[in-house]
This record gives sequence, C-alpha cells and structure tokens, in this order.
Amino acid sequence: MRRHPSSYRDPSGFVYQENGIFYRQINPVYFKEYKAATSSGVYQKLFDKKWLIPHEELRSDEEKIIILPEQLDFVTYPYEWSFNQYKHAAQLTLRIQIFLLENNFSLKDASAFNVTFHKGKAVFIDTLSIEKYKENNPWRALKQFNEHFFGPLLLAQKYGGSFLKTLQHSINGIDLSEVKRQLPFTSRFHPIIYSHIHLLSKSDGKKPTENNDEKKISLSKISQIKMLQALEQHIDAMASKENTEWSSYYNQINYQEASFQNKKKLIKLWCAEVEATKIIDLGGNDGTFAKELLNQASQIIISDIDQPAIDQCYLNQLKSKEQRLIPIVCDLMQPSPSIGFQNSERDSFTSRVISFQPDLSMALALIHHITLTGNVPFEMSASYFSKLSQYLIIEFPDRDDSWVKFILDSKRDARHLFDDYSISAFAKAYQQHFKLIKSEKIEGTERTLFLFKRHEG
Amino acid sequence: MNYLLYFDPGLGAMIAQAAIAALAGFVLFYKTVVATVKGWLGLRKAKKESSFDNSYDQNSDTK
Repeated sequence: MRRHPSSYRDPSGFVYQENGIFYRQINPVYFKEYKAATSSGVYQKLFDKKWLIPHEELRSDEEKIIILPEQLDFVTYPYEWSFNQYKHAAQLTLRIQIFLLENNFSLKDASAFNVTFHKGKAVFIDTLSIEKYKENNPWRALKQFNEHFFGPLLLAQKYGGSFLKTLQHSINGIDLSEVKRQLPFTSRFHPIIYSHIHLLSKSDGKKPTENNDEKKISLSKISQIKMLQALEQHIDAMASKENTEWSSYYNQINYQEASFQNKKKLIKLWCAEVEATKIIDLGGNDGTFAKELLNQASQIIISDIDQPAIDQCYLNQLKSKEQRLIPIVCDLMQPSPSIGFQNSERDSFTSRVISFQPDLSMALALIHHITLTGNVPFEMSASYFSKLSQYLIIEFPDRDDSWVKFILDSKRDARHLFDDYSISAFAKAYQQHFKLIKSEKIEGTERTLFLFKRHEG
Repeated sequence: MNYLLYFDPGLGAMIAQAAIAALAGFVLFYKTVVATVKGWLGLRKAKKESSFDNSYDQNSDTK
C-alpha cells in the first residue's frame, strides 16, 4: 500500500495505491459525514450529474472504510488547463456547492486540485470534501476558491494565459492582495470583483481576537446561495481575449490541401499498422490530426504550448460529445515539473505520460521548433521521445521548407550553427534510439514522415 | 476548535461574506431587472454554445 504523496491535507482520509489501483481510505473522524452523504443520496445525485467521480464502497469496519473510485487514466492539473477548462472547473465547484447547500451539505474546501478532467469534462474528485451544512455558517472555502480559481481567471482574462499557470508556483493559490495590486483601479467599482478580491484581501492579515466568536459570524443559506450564484454568473460571462498563434494555423499552412489529406492518410495507416490505442500527440494543436485516429484509439493526449489551441480542442470535444481526447497545455521546452512537498505532490508531465504508457507518440511539425528555436540537439530530442512510447511518428521538415527557412533566416549571423539540420543527420541521430520502420516524403511538401520503433533493452 | 478545519479560512473572510452576499443580492436583482426589460424588448441572448450549462448541466438528462 502506498499513500499518494498529495493526500495528506485532510485528516478525513487519504488516497492510496495498491497494485496499480487507487483506493480511498476513510478515517473514523469522517464516518458520520460520509454516512450522511451516502444515505441522503447526495453522492448518487452528484454521480448522476457526472459532477463527482463515482465510487463504490468495498469494505467497512470500525477503523476504516475503503472505497474504490472510478479510475482516472491521466490526471491534468490546473496549471495545464486552457481558459475555458479553468473556467468550467471553477463553475463546477460553485455549482456543486450550490447543489450541496440546497441539500443541506457543503464543501469544506475549494482547491482547484479537487477537479480534474475525465471523459472530456471537468469532474470533482475529492469525495471527502463534502460535509453537513451547519445552519447559518458562511462558506469557509470562499477565500480559497478565489485564491485558486477567481484570482487566476481574472488575471488571465486581463493579461493572458500565462496566469492560468499560477498554481504551478503557488500551490495554495494566489494571494488576493497580489491579484488586487495587478487589477486596474476601476476594478474596485465592480461589485463582484470588489467583494471577492478587494474586500477579501483586506481580511488577509486580520488576527482573531477574543470577541470574534465564530458563532457571531452568520450568513443565511439563502444569502450564501445568492452570493455564489452572482459569482458563478460573473465567471460564466468571462472570456479570454487571447488570439492564438496557431488557431488560424491550418488556414496558412505552407502546403496544399492535397498534401494535408495525404499526411492524414499516412498517419492513419501507420497508426493502424502498429495497432496503437493509447496515443500522445505532442504539439497537437487543436487536435486536428489526433481526431483522425479516433477510429482505433481509446485515448489520445493532445499537448500543445498554445493555450487557445488547446481551448479550441476542449470546446470542440464538448460540442461533439467525444470523450477520448485529453487536451493539455504544455510547453515541451519546460513541461510541468513535479511540485509540492518533497517534490512529490503533483507529478511532472513526463512522468505522468510515462505512467500513461502510450503506444505511440506523434510529433508532427514539431522537430524544427525544438531543434532550431529551442536549440535542442537531435540526440537529446530522440532520447526524450524514446522514453515516452515504443513507437514514434515524427515529421521532419527539411531545409527547403518555408517555415524552416524562416526560422533559419531569423538566426542571422548564427545561421551556420544550424548547418547540421538535415534529414540525414536527423535520421542518423534518431536511429541511435529507434529502429527506422519506414519513412515517406509527403507529396507536394518538403516534409518527410518517419515511423520509428524504440530499441528495447 | 474543529480539527477538521485543516486550512485557515481567514476569519475576516468569514465576516466579510455578509457584505459580499448583500452586494450579490443587489447584483442579482439588477441583472434580473435588466434581463426582464430586455425580454420585453425581445433582446434576450441565447446561451453561448461553449457555456457550462450547455455541456455540464445534466438536469435535463436525469429524471
């Protein structure tokens, strides 16, 4: 039994792993709450809404109750979500709280890590966050909600998607006084922003005094619901103004429609040949190519540096009711590290991908960015890809490709440092780690597709 | 002290909620008035396709 390193904050219980399966142990201190939530049917109602990860009770005695939650295939963290993913995760948390209040329960915390994406949608995964509502008690997770969700969303809306990564460096959320400092002066005239950011940030340094008896602090349930509804409506109306560097990418690609179709066909064919069912598409943009593989794939992770492209991928998936794509914002030049206490609460991107055990990695129109813009030598990128999966489909745009030319031209005096950028050097370096199965030039382009199989042992 | 309270909710944050709720009541009232007037004028906006309600609210699917 191995306790999950992130599962220590709440004494109600913890998540542990046994033979590769995650279980949750509930401690006696939470028995009453758990039984109340079970018998009242709120767990079941939340399962039906698909808002809470379903679980079944395996055994129960005086010392512990063990539940088996539906297993997650790949966990994404808040700092890897696109704007609308973040927004929906925030709304989900508020809707759950409103629903619980209506049923005389409440959430005891509102960490963004309580939510992840499963089957294409945000889902609440902390089963033990639900407790009985105490009459006229304010919501004690409100400030945490604003530190984890509302603050980063406001800053991302104003200054761009990099603020969606806030929790990567501030695992307990952003200080509200910091959000306040960065918002424009006029924000204090907005009733929702003023009250949830400015007003709450003032309370930061307050010390409890003798007279501040908790009993005196009261807020009726109906007022709390109104407060949450107003906040939720505000978040619902938020939109990112960011334009993507790639969102119109497929309108201005440097090759013809026929070549584009040809590339799709080759990828589909090769993917079928190696019988890949779990795939990761690195630099997958909005999932245009990944979607072609849905006939045979059970799950496809689509990672891209571009937040708006991933956002598009997420929204398209919601619209199409597809469930097998896992969109994730990730810069391969600095993928999410492992963070938190002992560097082990939240796993790094690479180690999560390795545990996901994809059969195939795809790196389409990516290598020139990594090699020429990122200066990563072929040997290093080959070594990295070989860690991820057995098979690799990689596209190599040669020196005559207009994108490559553009990047090389921008190197000016340093251009000669990239003289090694050639298809032969590429193939040679990659064959240190992989066996070349086949390669084919995409007709009408200066690009070649390669299918590699990792050397085992 | 309830030891289940495993993080600090901020005492001030708890007190402030009464004021926040009062403001929220005002905002909701104002929005309702605006929406009603817009309804009379036939200006009601449809929910955006990407909205939470269109994708997550399962009330219509469940009995």
